[in-house]
Amino acid sequence: MRDLYQRLSLSSAASEHDIQNAVERCQNSALRQDAETVLAVNAHREAYDTLHQTLNDIGCLRARLGLTHGAHWQGDVANDFSLPPDHAISRHDELVDRVSNAVSLYNRWRRWRGPWLLVAMFATGAGIGIVVGFALCLGLAAG
Amino acid sequence: MSMARFSPFELVLLKSRSQVDTATLLLLAWVLVHRQHVSEGQRRRRLAQVTARFRHGHELGPVMGIAHSQDLQAIQLAAEILRKECSKERSLSVLHQSITVATDDGELSLANHYILRFLADLLNVTPTTLSTLFYELTGRPMGTPEDPSRHAYWQQHNPDYFSQKAHEAAAEQQAREAAERQAREQAEQREQKKKRRQQEKQRQQEQAHARKEQTRQERERQRQRDEQQRREQAQQEQARHERAQGGQRQSSYTPPPPDRTTRALAVLGLPPGASRGDVRLAYRRMAQLHHPDRFFSESEHQVALASARFQRIKNAYDYLMQTY
Repeated sequence: MRDLYQRLSLSSAASEHDIQNAVERCQNSALRQDAETVLAVNAHREAYDTLHQTLNDIGCLRARLGLTHGAHWQGDVANDFSLPPDHAISRHDELVDRVSNAVSLYNRWRRWRGPWLLVAMFATGAGIGIVVGFALCLGLAAG
Repeated sequence: MSMARFSPFELVLLKSRSQVDTATLLLLAWVLVHRQHVSEGQRRRRLAQVTARFRHGHELGPVMGIAHSQDLQAIQLAAEILRKECSKERSLSVLHQSITVATDDGELSLANHYILRFLADLLNVTPTTLSTLFYELTGRPMGTPEDPSRHAYWQQHNPDYFSQKAHEAAAEQQAREAAERQAREQAEQREQKKKRRQQEKQRQQEQAHARKEQTRQERERQRQRDEQQRREQAQQEQARHERAQGGQRQSSYTPPPPDRTTRALAVLGLPPGASRGDVRLAYRRMAQLHHPDRFFSESEHQVALASARFQRIKNAYDYLMQTY
């Protein structure tokens, strides 16, 4: 399985017109015939695109997991679908980080008796509001 | 530190009693999603069947939903967990389960070819082990996946399209041939018309020639008639004279030469009553003038005309030699 889009320097969302142009410009007659059969016929292209998407996913996974040189990843597929390693960090480490972060937040919350703190903040806020309102009323009465 | 929310799969994972089991579950669901010609209910039942011994302790529905959405990050997370926490035996059993789920007496789909190989790479299973395992489970060699990016693959899998295309091409070819044939016929007709016109022209030329000849002969005849008249008049005068003189003598009346001889003489450009020597001389001159070899350097048509003229001259000469 080869990546015909890449070999014709197209994007996988290329329109029929673009594909037509690229096929006409293609110098390699074998590749031109393959592209005509696979990409110019809608039914064929749909099936091809599905597999193309899956292989892209697998290529991406392999790049992130460091499996781009595995024993089962050889030939055309490996040539066309191996992506350069992106700098995505390990999902598992990220999960662990996130969980520990959540845990520390929770612990802090518990330690500072979060609900009571919330009630106290509400009470002070309400008190300040009442005092300000009272002062305003007095001012108006004096004026 | 990322502030993103926990994804559905992470939540499932956190709730799970066994993370490895949940991760395996997601990967099996991923394989199942890429199996063709299976209904959604069948997929769920199959997944429940295979994972009956798992200890994850949560619903299968969300996992199946995540697999359907092709969430790459979730799959990556599952793969990482599997790689981190799988023993050698466990990895073989995971592969075993995924092969069963992927085939089940059906064909291994192209996507699953690559997914199974990915799992084998992930779990450090060598190609020989994988192919042996596959052969033991399905009774068929795993083989290399077919290549839908090739012309040959579609020729094999969609022959209808190609036969239709061939039909169309044949029809087009026929149409083109018919058009060509028609064009050829038209060209032939034009050619024939041209030839006919040429022949017509030639005939007209010949007719004109003949007419000229005829007028000349006519004039010749006229002259002969005039001469004859004159001669007759002279004879009559002579006769009158003789009668006047009293001498009753028979007139020596010579019949006019036959028409054909006159015409033959005219062809040689001689007046009637020319001598044999004149005929021979005239013939030599005319033969030299009209011999076809003189027109050798000119067109074939000219040569043909000259030979026709020469023939006529020769016929006239022969006739005169015989009769004179």
